[in-house]
Amino acid sequence: MAKTILAVDDSSSLRQMVAFSLKAAGYQVVEAVDGQDGLEKAKGQTVDLVLTDQNMPRMDGLQLIKHLRELPSYQKVPILMLTTESSDEMKAKGRAAGANGWLVKPFDPQRLIEVVKKVIG
Amino acid sequence: MTRKKILGSHVKRLLSGVSDHGRRHLTEVETDLIQTNLLLEEAIEKLSRNFMAIHETVSAQQTAIDALLAGATPSAEQKEQLSALSDQVGMYVNAAVTSMQFQDMTSQLIDRTLKRVTGLREFLGTLGAHGAEMVPESDNDEIVELLGKVSMALAIQSLELRSVLRKAVSQKHLESGDIELF
Repeated sequence: MAKTILAVDDSSSLRQMVAFSLKAAGYQVVEAVDGQDGLEKAKGQTVDLVLTDQNMPRMDGLQLIKHLRELPSYQKVPILMLTTESSDEMKAKGRAAGANGWLVKPFDPQRLIEVVKKVIG
Repeated sequence: MTRKKILGSHVKRLLSGVSDHGRRHLTEVETDLIQTNLLLEEAIEKLSRNFMAIHETVSAQQTAIDALLAGATPSAEQKEQLSALSDQVGMYVNAAVTSMQFQDMTSQLIDRTLKRVTGLREFLGTLGAHGAEMVPESDNDEIVELLGKVSMALAIQSLELRSVLRKAVSQKHLESGDIELF
């Protein structure tokens, strides 16, 4: 059965590109428009990987990660940030919040698929 | 300090503060707009190039398919070329996907510019509103007090504006970004 990825980003064009890339590699993709929507969708179903932006309205990426890590079912689910942010300070915050990796935009579809395969197979 | 000097000092501080605030923010507006323009130019150039490349590759594929449908037997070299065309299309599509992310980045830059412009407008509005409170008959002490209030209000607005303007987009090119697994 295809693995499911939750893609969280307030940019619809970005979500479209992520979904296009990952679906082409055989993954199922659930989209969320911000951290709040991402948290609700994550609670509603089990996903194998969360890919989240940082700067979003209502709830940003770091807050989403902190909330997800409080859920028993999301203690071990890999969470990757996909964001324009590239500072060491932000990466350290992401790591401290519970992120497993940091991808700086723009992403290359082939490299994204390689990283996802490495993390969840 | 004499009353005249106190008044002069307040006026000087206010004028200097307004000038610094305005210049700093307008310089950032200029920087963000230049960066937005660079990203847009590169995105359009790359998307155009990849679109043409995809078009040429698909045309070549179609030519080969037409030949096969007409009963031609492809040579080993032609089979290899046909197989490679599919990989080429994939490569151009990937490049286009990377370029299309310009919308996300430029949207963030434009949003930041708009917040800054709004903040500047509010700042000048505060200046004007306080200025309207001043009556020509005010004595020096009243003017000094008013200028003090204006300076304080502007300093608070300036800090508030800076707090919402973190620069999240440093990319000046559309090359794919770093990846780090912790």
